[in-house]
Amino acid sequence: MVDALYQKFVERWEEVTDIPPQTLGPLTPLYKRAARYLKIMPWPFLVVGAGFLVLGMYLLFGSAITLLVSLLQRGF
Amino acid sequence: MVDQLLIAGVSFGRNCIGIVLHPYEAYRRIVREGSLYELIYITSLLIFYFALASVVKVAAFRPFLLTRQFIVLVSAVVATYCVVICLLWLVGQKMGGKGTLRGVAIAWGYTLVPTVLWFFVTSLLYVVLPPPRTTSLAGIALSALFLAFSATLFLWKLMLGYLALRFGLKLDLARILVVVAVVGPVVGIYSYGMYQLGIFKVPFV
Repeated sequence: MVDALYQKFVERWEEVTDIPPQTLGPLTPLYKRAARYLKIMPWPFLVVGAGFLVLGMYLLFGSAITLLVSLLQRGF
Repeated sequence: MVDQLLIAGVSFGRNCIGIVLHPYEAYRRIVREGSLYELIYITSLLIFYFALASVVKVAAFRPFLLTRQFIVLVSAVVATYCVVICLLWLVGQKMGGKGTLRGVAIAWGYTLVPTVLWFFVTSLLYVVLPPPRTTSLAGIALSALFLAFSATLFLWKLMLGYLALRFGLKLDLARILVVVAVVGPVVGIYSYGMYQLGIFKVPFV
């Protein structure tokens, strides 16, 4: 049983150390904070991010977003 | 082979749920344990969409035109997939990537899920609420909703693409950005070619 547990530990250790750690210099703490929210159930943040993006587009282009949507709808 | 297909089918279902709910853990599992048979299920999903898209685009029950449209779409997507995988693999290797081509191929295959979802919903919307959109309040509201939906799927796609390179090629963010900076323009030119040929207006990447 100890061997099986140790084997599981070794497998998990190799899995974690297989990938180089993500470092962004002074932005590393910010990255790790953001990544924590995106690793599990990222949808609230994706939807809020998309909402801000669309709001920005509306403030920038106004009702011209309807033209963009008309183009996108023909894009398939 | 049948039992491998069945196992791959269960894995495909589990991975599809995983890339929605916990993409990081799902991509670790996809790259580590993924089977090439799972690409068969992804291909089936694409074929189902292309069959629907052919009917919507041709808008007439003409078997020859429908078959032609279907074959063109399938061939274009298979070619695009192969081009993207080759580019990512070659550039990734140059950047010191350590993964396997199998891992990259399966991981990138799952990034097609948001793509096919967007195309599927857009096709349905084309039939239910055909363009053009007006500048009335309802038109702007619907446009904002569609853009929010598109942006959400686009951000999801970006996240899955990042995870595919992170776990498939074992690269860090800086190297991933370099790979994207090299591969992006090439795929852009390729997509422009697809647009000029009238195959895809929005790139099916």
